[in-house]
Amino acid sequence: MLWLKNVQIVDPAQDLAAVRDILVKDARIFEISVTFQEEEVQAKAEGETLEVLDGEGRLLFPGLIDVHTHLREPGQEEKEDIASGAQAAVRGGFTSVLAMANTKPVIDQRALVEFVRAQGERAGLARVYPVAAVTKGMQGQELVEMMDLAAGGAVGFSDDGHGIQNAEVMRLALEYAKLSCLPIISHCEDDALAAKGVMHKGLVSARLGLKGIPSCAESVMVARDLMLAEETSGVLHLAHISCRQSVDLIRQAKKKGLNVTAEVNPHHLIFCDEDVQLTKTSLKVNPPLRTADDREALLEALLEGTIDMLATDHAPHTWEEKARPFAEAPFGINGLETSLAAVWHYLIAPGILSVKRLLEAWSLAPARRFGLAGGSLKPGQRADMVLFDPDRTLEIKIENLASKAQNTPFLHTKLQGCPVMTWVGGRLVANRE
Amino acid sequence: MLWQRKHILGLENLSKEEISHILQTAKPMKEVLLRPLKKLPTLRGKSVMHLFYEASTRTRTSFETAGKILGADTASIAVAQSSVSKGESLLDTAKTIAAMKVDLVVIRHAASGAAAFLAEYLQAGIINAGDGQHEHPTQALLDMFTMQEEFGDLTGKKVVIIGDILHSRVARSNAWGLTKMGAEVTLVGPPTLLPPEMKALGVKMSHNLDGELEGADVVMALRLQLERQQSGLFPSLREYSRLYGISSQKLKKTGRKTIVLHPGPMNRGVEISSELADSPMAKIEEQVTNGVAVRMALIYLLAGGTSNVMA
Ligand SMILES: [Zn+2]
Repeated sequence: MLWLKNVQIVDPAQDLAAVRDILVKDARIFEISVTFQEEEVQAKAEGETLEVLDGEGRLLFPGLIDVHTHLREPGQEEKEDIASGAQAAVRGGFTSVLAMANTKPVIDQRALVEFVRAQGERAGLARVYPVAAVTKGMQGQELVEMMDLAAGGAVGFSDDGHGIQNAEVMRLALEYAKLSCLPIISHCEDDALAAKGVMHKGLVSARLGLKGIPSCAESVMVARDLMLAEETSGVLHLAHISCRQSVDLIRQAKKKGLNVTAEVNPHHLIFCDEDVQLTKTSLKVNPPLRTADDREALLEALLEGTIDMLATDHAPHTWEEKARPFAEAPFGINGLETSLAAVWHYLIAPGILSVKRLLEAWSLAPARRFGLAGGSLKPGQRADMVLFDPDRTLEIKIENLASKAQNTPFLHTKLQGCPVMTWVGGRLVANRE
Repeated sequence: MLWQRKHILGLENLSKEEISHILQTAKPMKEVLLRPLKKLPTLRGKSVMHLFYEASTRTRTSFETAGKILGADTASIAVAQSSVSKGESLLDTAKTIAAMKVDLVVIRHAASGAAAFLAEYLQAGIINAGDGQHEHPTQALLDMFTMQEEFGDLTGKKVVIIGDILHSRVARSNAWGLTKMGAEVTLVGPPTLLPPEMKALGVKMSHNLDGELEGADVVMALRLQLERQQSGLFPSLREYSRLYGISSQKLKKTGRKTIVLHPGPMNRGVEISSELADSPMAKIEEQVTNGVAVRMALIYLLAGGTSNVMA
């Protein structure tokens, strides 16, 4: 049994934000109290060895759940594999991750879904939940066997990496997926409008001579998908929302009561297109970093709940792939190990975002939307939890990263606030002490 | 002034003093160029590598000529456009060049930022000979040199740049450079090739050529990439030429002695009429000569020539 004393527990699910003692037994949260007596705890342990930890000055969160990661296995293990990604996750404070289906091969059959789950279990770190493709081979044409994939453990469907260009295919997907009750996760990008751009279309792209991706490449498809969700009563989750126009559309849709949720990536809240430089490929990401005004709209939407979730869109790439001229480097930011610290540093420490909202958006809402264990520290819940030190500085160095890739814009910087210990099912899986 | 810079990646970050210094240095270079015996010992023992990822006989020949007159050893790696994606990465090429210990690398590449990329990975000085749609500083410098030959000081001179501004590195470099030199720049083109975000360059923009010609000292026509029509950026060459092509007839509207520039190669009858291209108003051949002089100046400044240029 674990007895964690004097720790500031923040758990929006039970409206708790106070210094407490917490007991963990048999992989689950056993009891939370203002304080426990030694004899009392011994009795509750019923002969189990008792481990005592003082959490003074630290915070305890329900483990973070990241609904958008690319773990690259099978097929691109030079960038990342499920074990290294899961290791990066727990070091970053994430106890569960959703693994996107755009691997090689694409996760579009039950055996592949089961493979991803099995690799996650073998690694024994973060819980790894597979997202299956919407269409076979992500070709945007024929639907996958959604019910079989759901039975194999898929928690959602997404052709993430591409938008589904054919509106009828998207409509059918939303319609058919109702059988499974699982969300369709939409990567909203109209290929013709995006026109092979490499950064946000605006003043900075004009100055740098880089091909731009206009905001409408996203918002046009957000509008389409919301209309289709309305017509089908489908379950829709919008990935990586990046611009004000999309936010406005989602706000309206929620007013109408549509079954829609949306996520935002930390980099879209921290950076904007003005940070992009020709040689800074670590900021090349899709959707692109948009304007300061878009960033403001995203933040506002996250605070008010129009945007439900934070998600990393962890997209590891090798150093060589990113060491190219901007237009030739792949899109993607490595996020699992740095995102919580970065959000703390840039948004929580300055008082822009509350810890409560952070945990609603990065733990509770994801658990509810995708029907996952975790999201709360209520007694009886599986003990997926993170001990966080708000004062400790995390220095981002290549040798500190568990991910196989280093494509983070925070490389060689220091971030204030650092996850120090992570437990999954009561088992300590990451420890920076 | 004392020259400090190691690379010429673009004009956006150059000061007026630096640009003036380059143009000033190009003057004696042009005198050398006009001599019957064109050879200086200035850069003997220095090596210049030309790395051209886009076919451009003109620019490459201009650089090679400039280097040879100054006595530098020049070598070229021409990479066929089609093999770029399959071939070795720019990073690997950079490592190879680093191993050859060259003093100066001249690069032309289809990706914006390719020159800055090399500057990060190489010890050698880098001259950007055109990177994607970003900058083409030597072209803008030779354009400004040509204008100065005609007008002297460029302060208050009205320069109209016409065409596919969005995709033009020549327009970007000229906008930065000319603004610093005090000229008044107007960019002209159809809305699809001159979208609102081009205001990032901080100069006047217009879609109406006829309305902008009055008082123009310099009119520069950009080369139109004909394949832009297939991307739907303009409906036809006929309509483009009618709206944005220049001719002696149209240039009467300037009401003064205007010079006409074009970075070449020209699409005669599209962005510029044949009769105008061959008229005395056009300084297009002068631009080619001045290109060698300006490139000599840059190679001289960056490769750190020791002996006196005037010698
Ligand atoms: Zn995506």
